[in-house]
Amino acid sequence: MEIPLAQELIFGLVIGSYIALGAIGFTLIYGLVNMINFAHGEFITIGAFVGFLAIAEGGLSLPVALLVVLVVTGVAGWAIARVTFEPMNDAGAVPLLLMSIGLGLVLRNGLRTVAGAERRHVPVPVETFRFDELGFFVTSQHLTIIGITLLAVLVLHLFLTRTMLGVAMRATADNEDLALVSGIDTRLIRNTVWVGASALAGIAGLMLAISQSANPNVGFGQLLLILTAAILGGAGSPYGAVAGAYLLGIGITVSVALLPSGLTALSSTMAFVVLIVVLLVRPGGLVNAEVRAS
Amino acid sequence: MSAIDDLPFDAVQAGVVLVIVALVYLFSPFYVSPAGFTFIFLEVGVLFLLYALILIGLNLQFGHTGLVNFGPVAFFAVGGYTAAMLTAVDPFKAVGLALPWPVGLVAAVLVAVALGALLGFSTLRLRDDFLAIVTLAVAEIIHGLIITFRDVTGGSVGLGNVPRPIAAPVGGGGGAELFATVLVLGALCVLAYGVFHRLSTAPYGRVLRAIRADEQVAATLGKRVFRYKLVVFVYGAAIAGLAGALLVFYNGAASAGFFTIDVTVIVWVGMLIGGAGNDRGVLAGLAIIMGFQLTTRFLNDVLPFITQDQFASVRLMLVGLLLMLIIKYRPEGLWGNARELGVES
Repeated sequence: MEIPLAQELIFGLVIGSYIALGAIGFTLIYGLVNMINFAHGEFITIGAFVGFLAIAEGGLSLPVALLVVLVVTGVAGWAIARVTFEPMNDAGAVPLLLMSIGLGLVLRNGLRTVAGAERRHVPVPVETFRFDELGFFVTSQHLTIIGITLLAVLVLHLFLTRTMLGVAMRATADNEDLALVSGIDTRLIRNTVWVGASALAGIAGLMLAISQSANPNVGFGQLLLILTAAILGGAGSPYGAVAGAYLLGIGITVSVALLPSGLTALSSTMAFVVLIVVLLVRPGGLVNAEVRAS
Repeated sequence: MSAIDDLPFDAVQAGVVLVIVALVYLFSPFYVSPAGFTFIFLEVGVLFLLYALILIGLNLQFGHTGLVNFGPVAFFAVGGYTAAMLTAVDPFKAVGLALPWPVGLVAAVLVAVALGALLGFSTLRLRDDFLAIVTLAVAEIIHGLIITFRDVTGGSVGLGNVPRPIAAPVGGGGGAELFATVLVLGALCVLAYGVFHRLSTAPYGRVLRAIRADEQVAATLGKRVFRYKLVVFVYGAAIAGLAGALLVFYNGAASAGFFTIDVTVIVWVGMLIGGAGNDRGVLAGLAIIMGFQLTTRFLNDVLPFITQDQFASVRLMLVGLLLMLIIKYRPEGLWGNARELGVES
């Protein structure tokens, strides 16, 4: 007895997982630093390359590589943000946006110049578990990706609810002035967000390097989906971002299965349609965040 | 620059005269055939004039009204492909309806307007940066769609056999055609600049700048802010669509490579260098950045040990760096008004 759409569901969960990791970081930056970071894709790419170097060149095992990627990307992202965005923190949303676009160009093309445009494959042993009677198969890669994402989300949730820093972060996201007045060190919060968002992006990069390849465009290619997932979930809400990412991922794979074969490369249109519909109907996304101009 | 303002005629009048002169030249039996070494400058000149059309619209959107449109190439592409698909005569592996070129031109503008209206309705009531996201996303999506639907658009190969209404009446080979194209497009550009400049110097422009400075105040004074923003957004979309149609009519073909994010970046950096909101300044800024690109292209010929691919990446890096430096140290550009733009330190 075949479970209908089971395979599509699994692929959707995998895609949703790396979108989720990127979207959480993206939306946290949006909520706390109040900027749209168009260079977020480049943090993912950095993670992909660090992961490639760690596993393929350094011969590290996956868990160790994961830690390395986490730390290196977290610190790199924080350092880049410290130099470019922090000094102009009160300049307003539009200059920060333009700055991030410029930064994205510099990083993307810098990586391309240094590393070249070829795709680099990360050799990781893969086992496949077939359930032919139920109509699907699952690889150890799929399980790793989904597992790591769920673990990351769990850790994030515990951090945001059980630690003082996490609670302070939620307070700052809600109302920065009030948080300042209450004695919360908003600069520390912002630094933490940059480290956290970059680290998560790094993990997403590692996943992408493993399942696809490491190349200078790998992060930028995900940016559109990350954006859509973040807006679908509700700009600023990490839980919304996760929900939005999985919905988007599953939506893409299921629609590919249900569409006639000539139109299967429609995942970009899917994102467009979702984006426009969400903005027309419920711009605050799933959690109904406040996004109107005034 | 005030000497130009003191002339007894304005750009619209000059533009109309120039268009008439250009059309007379086009249909006359005389032609100017420029020397071979000038071809590259003329080609860059054509591209400059087309990007200038996009920039004129973008300047009205961002420089005057404060709308962050990060996907002007979306309307450029939509206009171009609409014109190409309607007018191409039996292209290889793509849709071509072989309609006369004026139909293609008008349709290009109308489709761009429709897209602009759709995007405007969905995003103009939201935060400024949402418009940026959506326009950027739409531009990337359209690029993706063009490549994906290769049986309709010709994909990465492109859509050929598009009529060339400017080149056709000119006998005398490629150089003369180039010169004629530069003349006609130049005249159109002056006219477009004149029209948009009149808009921005009129009280209409004052309302736009008020909206840019503080939407709430403008609304309190009784201006229908959303209406103004939507109309301005559509104007910019229309002129970008027109530019797209003119591009395919010049090339005789449409290809995805003409409509990448590089167009957006060049036009934006040109606007920021020149000074957003200064109608002449932004065109000068565009000239500066395109001149930079031209000189670096020559540089690559001089330094053969760097591959073209690497050089292209380094160029983009420099452009990105330039963008970052401008935003940080001189956000009002060379000729912009820092107080009006709200960026004085």
